[in-house]
Amino acid sequence: MPPPPLPPSAPAPSSAPRAALPRLAPLLGHPVSVGLLAVVLAGTAGLGLVLGAGTTPATAWNALAEGMFGSPYAIGSSLNSAAVLALIATGFTAAHRAGLVNVGGEGQLCAGGLAAAAVGLALPAGVPAVLGVPLVLVAGFAAGAAWAGIAARLRTRRGTSEVITTLLLNFIGVGLVSVAVHEEALLRQPVTSSETLPQSAPLPEGARLPLIGGIESPATAIVVIAALAAVITGVVLRRTAVGLRLRSVGHSPAASARLGLPVARLETGGLAFAGGAAGVAGAGLVAMAPSVLAEHFSSGYGFSGLVVGLLARGSLTAVAAVSLLFGFLTNGGINLQLAAGVPASSVQIVQSLLVLFVAAAMFATTRNRSTS
Amino acid sequence: MSAVLDELAAGGVRLAIPLLLASSGELLSERAGVLNLSVEGMMLTGAFAGAAGALASGSAGVGVLTALAAGLLFAALQALLSVVLRADQIVTGITANALALGATTYGSRLVFGDASADSVPGFDPIPVPGLHRIPVLGPALFEQTALGYAAFAVAAALALGFSRRTGWGLAVDAIGEDATTADRCGLPVRAVRFAAVLLTGAVSGLAGAQLALSEVHAFSDNITGGIGHLAVVAVIAGRWLAWPTILACLFFGVAQSLQFAAPALGLHVSAPLLTTLPYVVALLAVSGLVGRSRAPSGLTVPFLRGS
Repeated sequence: MPPPPLPPSAPAPSSAPRAALPRLAPLLGHPVSVGLLAVVLAGTAGLGLVLGAGTTPATAWNALAEGMFGSPYAIGSSLNSAAVLALIATGFTAAHRAGLVNVGGEGQLCAGGLAAAAVGLALPAGVPAVLGVPLVLVAGFAAGAAWAGIAARLRTRRGTSEVITTLLLNFIGVGLVSVAVHEEALLRQPVTSSETLPQSAPLPEGARLPLIGGIESPATAIVVIAALAAVITGVVLRRTAVGLRLRSVGHSPAASARLGLPVARLETGGLAFAGGAAGVAGAGLVAMAPSVLAEHFSSGYGFSGLVVGLLARGSLTAVAAVSLLFGFLTNGGINLQLAAGVPASSVQIVQSLLVLFVAAAMFATTRNRSTS
Repeated sequence: MSAVLDELAAGGVRLAIPLLLASSGELLSERAGVLNLSVEGMMLTGAFAGAAGALASGSAGVGVLTALAAGLLFAALQALLSVVLRADQIVTGITANALALGATTYGSRLVFGDASADSVPGFDPIPVPGLHRIPVLGPALFEQTALGYAAFAVAAALALGFSRRTGWGLAVDAIGEDATTADRCGLPVRAVRFAAVLLTGAVSGLAGAQLALSEVHAFSDNITGGIGHLAVVAVIAGRWLAWPTILACLFFGVAQSLQFAAPALGLHVSAPLLTTLPYVVALLAVSGLVGRSRAPSGLTVPFLRGS
C-alpha cells in the first residue's frame, strides 16, 4: 500500500505524538529505551521460534547462556568474535567521520587474511613469536589498507561512489581467497588424496596469536588489539587535530578544501585505515585456531561488522557494546543448536530482527537531533 | 563442439533469466535513489513461498502467485523501514538478507520436513515450433518454460516503459538525482520510491519462483546462493542503463555456465575465478575505464521534506 501523500504544509510526522505525550517522548526516544524495546520484541519472536522447534524456553535459555558465559571456552570464543567485529566497526567509524561509508569490510578482511596466510607460510618453521606475530598482523593491515585504497583512489580521482566500489571489492576479495585455496600453485596445502580440503597449510607456531586467558580459553591477543584500537581511535577522533580535520571533511569537503585541508589525502587515509583495521581482523582470524586460511573463513564478519558500525553511529563506546552483544549472541546461538536442538537459523532471525527494530527506531532519535 | 556451444548458450540464458528479472526491478529502484541490497533475500523468499505454494496447492501457477505475494510483502516491510522511517538502506538491505536466509531455512524444516522438497509441481519447457531448431540460439531462447517467457516479457516491458524517453522514466531519474528538487516540482518522491521497492520485490519474487519452479522443481536452503547479489552487480556493471544491464546479465550467465562447459572444451579454468569475474567486470565498468559511468546522485540518500 503506498503511503498517503503529505499535503505541502503538513508538519513533520513527529510532532503529533510528541505533542500528545510531551513528557514521555524524550524518554521513548532515548537510545537506551529504544534498545530495550527492540530486545524485548526480538526476544518475543525468538521465544516463538524456540516453541515452534518443540523446545521448552528453559532448556533453550540454559543452552544459550551456557554457550555465552558457561565456560572459559565459551567466553573466550565469544570475545574473539566480538574483537573481530569491533575492529571492523572501529575502522568503519573512522572512515565515516570523513564522510565515507565503507561497505567493504568483508573484502578487506579477506585481503588481510590472504596476506597474513602468505606471509605466515613463508616464514621459517622456528620463527619466534615476537617476530612472526607482528609480521603477520602488519601484512594483514597493509593488504586491507591497499584493498580499501583501490576504492579511495577511484573516489578521489574519478568520483566513483565508495559505497559501490567497496561493495564490489567484497565479492572480489572473497573470490580471491577461494582461488588461492583451490590452487596448489598459490596457497593450497599439498594435495595428498581426494579428501584434502581446499585450505592452506597451518601457519607455523611462531605466527599464531598468543592466548591471553590461560589454556582453557581460546581468547587471543586479538581481543587486546581490538580494545586498544577502539580506545586509540576514539581519542584520536575526539581529541586530536587529525580527528577534527576528518570531521571537517565529513561535514563539507568543499568548505574543507577552501580552508586548505588536503581533502583527498584525508579521505584516502580514513578509508585506508578502515581497510587496515578490517585487514588486521582478517589476519587475526587466520592466525587463531585452526590457524589456516580456508574458503569462507570470513563467514560474514565483514557484513556484521559494518552493521555494528552503522548501529553505533560514531560512538566507539557503542561499537564495543554492540560488538560484545553480537559476539556473545552468535556463540550462544551455536550452542542453542548443539545443546537444545533449536535451529541456528532462529538466532540469525532474532539477531536480524533486533537490528531492523533498532534501525527503524533510530529515526526517532535522529529526528530529535536534527530538529533541535 | 556445437553441442558444447549449445549447452553454453542454453546454460548461460538459463542462469541469466532470474538475473534479468531481478535486475530490471533493481535498476528502477536504484534510478529512484534506493540502493536495494536485499534482492538476494527477496529472491530467496520468493523461491521458498513459490515452492511452498505449489506444494500446498498442487499447482505451479499458484506457486507463482504466492511467490509474487511474498516478494511484495517482503518489499513492503523493507520500504516501510527504508523509505518511510528512513532507516539506513545498507543496514536494512544486508539485515533483510540475513533475515530471509534464517526464516526460509527455519521454515523449510516446518513446511517441507526432512525429506527435502524435490517433488514440488513445476513448469515444463515449451519449445516454440520452428524457432527452437535454430542452432545455438534456438535451445537457448526458445525452449523456456511459460515463466521463462514471461520473464523476458517483464524485463523488456520495464526497460521500454521506464526508458528515458517516457515520462515515467524521466520522473524516476529526477527523483534519484535530486529528490528535493523533484519534490518541489510536484513529483511524489516517497510514493515513487515505495513503488520502486515494491516492484523490485515483485520481480525478485518471480525470479525466485523461476529458480524453484522452472529449473529444479524443488526448494533447498539458500537456493539462490548469491544470484541476488549478482543482480545488483549487473545494474552497476550496466552503468544504470537498461540495455547494458541486460547485456551484463547475459554475460554473467554465460560466464557462470562456462564453469560447467569448460571441461568439455578442454579448458582448465579455475571455477572460483569465473565466479569472481562478474564483479571484476562491474568494478571496471563503474571505475570509468569502459565509457562514462555515474551513479544516481541521490543513491542511498533518504528523503525528508524540508531537510
